[in-house]
Amino acid sequence: MKPLIEPIFGRYLRVELLGKPHRLYVEEAGQGIPLLCLHTAGSDTRQYRGLMNDPEITRHYRVITFDMPWHGKSSPPAGWQSESYRLTSADYTRLVLEVCDALALQRPAVMGCSIGGRIALVLAMEHPKRFRAIIGLQSGATIDPYYELDWLHHPQVHGGEAAAAYVSGLMAPTSPEAERWETLWHYMQGGPGIFKGDLYFYRGADGDIRERLCAIDTRVCPLYLLTGEYDYSVSPEDTRAAAERIPGVKFSVMPKLGHFPMSENPALFLSYLRPVLDEIRAA
Amino acid sequence: MSLPLETLKDRAAGDALLARFGLDLDCALLVGDGDTDWLVRIERGAVRRVTLGPLIMPKTDLRLRASSDTWSRFLEPVPPPGYHDLFALRRYKRIQIEGDIRLMSAYLFYFKRLFELLRKA
Repeated sequence: MKPLIEPIFGRYLRVELLGKPHRLYVEEAGQGIPLLCLHTAGSDTRQYRGLMNDPEITRHYRVITFDMPWHGKSSPPAGWQSESYRLTSADYTRLVLEVCDALALQRPAVMGCSIGGRIALVLAMEHPKRFRAIIGLQSGATIDPYYELDWLHHPQVHGGEAAAAYVSGLMAPTSPEAERWETLWHYMQGGPGIFKGDLYFYRGADGDIRERLCAIDTRVCPLYLLTGEYDYSVSPEDTRAAAERIPGVKFSVMPKLGHFPMSENPALFLSYLRPVLDEIRAA
Repeated sequence: MSLPLETLKDRAAGDALLARFGLDLDCALLVGDGDTDWLVRIERGAVRRVTLGPLIMPKTDLRLRASSDTWSRFLEPVPPPGYHDLFALRRYKRIQIEGDIRLMSAYLFYFKRLFELLRKA
């Protein structure tokens, strides 16, 4: 095999986030319109490897992604050992805006998946002027719990393997085996209790935003929602239900993809994403 | 018979994923399709025997029951969305999962793999 150095480069950003000093891992590739990508709960930037390695996309877009604090190569804040990590909608929103500010991103496009897809809806609702376009992958306004989260962080259960096993079925059975297991590996490497702490965001006080969706004005910021058909955590019906409350939203179902479209089958996902990015660029 | 449980022991023998994720697993697993129950005895990660019901008050650690129609769809080579995974069945309330959920969570890859193996020709 001929060695190949990928065009992605990563750096550590020292920045204050949510009022505390952080060391945040940030990756980017390409040039042009900034496109900030948000990973799923319990995972990290590697989910966007396909996007960042695609020359057609990086020719026009500066793709940027960061490991959320506590995830991937970003450290938790000092003192983490005596707190329980619990993500909230307000903190996640503030985190995205503070990272945009720290990186001096001027009206970037933003794309998030799963919890990132939910925060995409919140950003569209609360901060549409900060973004030129918003793309939600596997976005839902509420979620129907179907398993007990306590097992994701329990001394008698390997949290990484349990998290990976719980999410494994969310991918399409037709997605390439190597990409599916790569996606699961990221889950296996998550810190103890972090996946569970991310999901608090879904089940906490602000876990149901259905009634607020009508506040989204897609004339201020275009909103695209794309959902893989095999996802049963946020199913196409869940996204459709949200989309029906948002005038002007562009919603489409992605056949043969699941909950991790950009990671479980990057090539197929890009075939659905390219027309969206072309449209954003043409606007 | 909707589930080819009688072939499970052969299908599971030598499977690399079961070996990887079944470390030290001992379990009495009951599988049902509404008409028939099977008791799968797993010892140290290996499927030792499968007993066809009717079973008389068996001691079980974990019980998974779905209708034969649900299992038939689950077993399709490329199952439709919502039928493609044990927890897809759970999400749409098509399966009853009862028993030691800690054990199931600790060995979830193993149990998912066990049912996937039934899918193969």
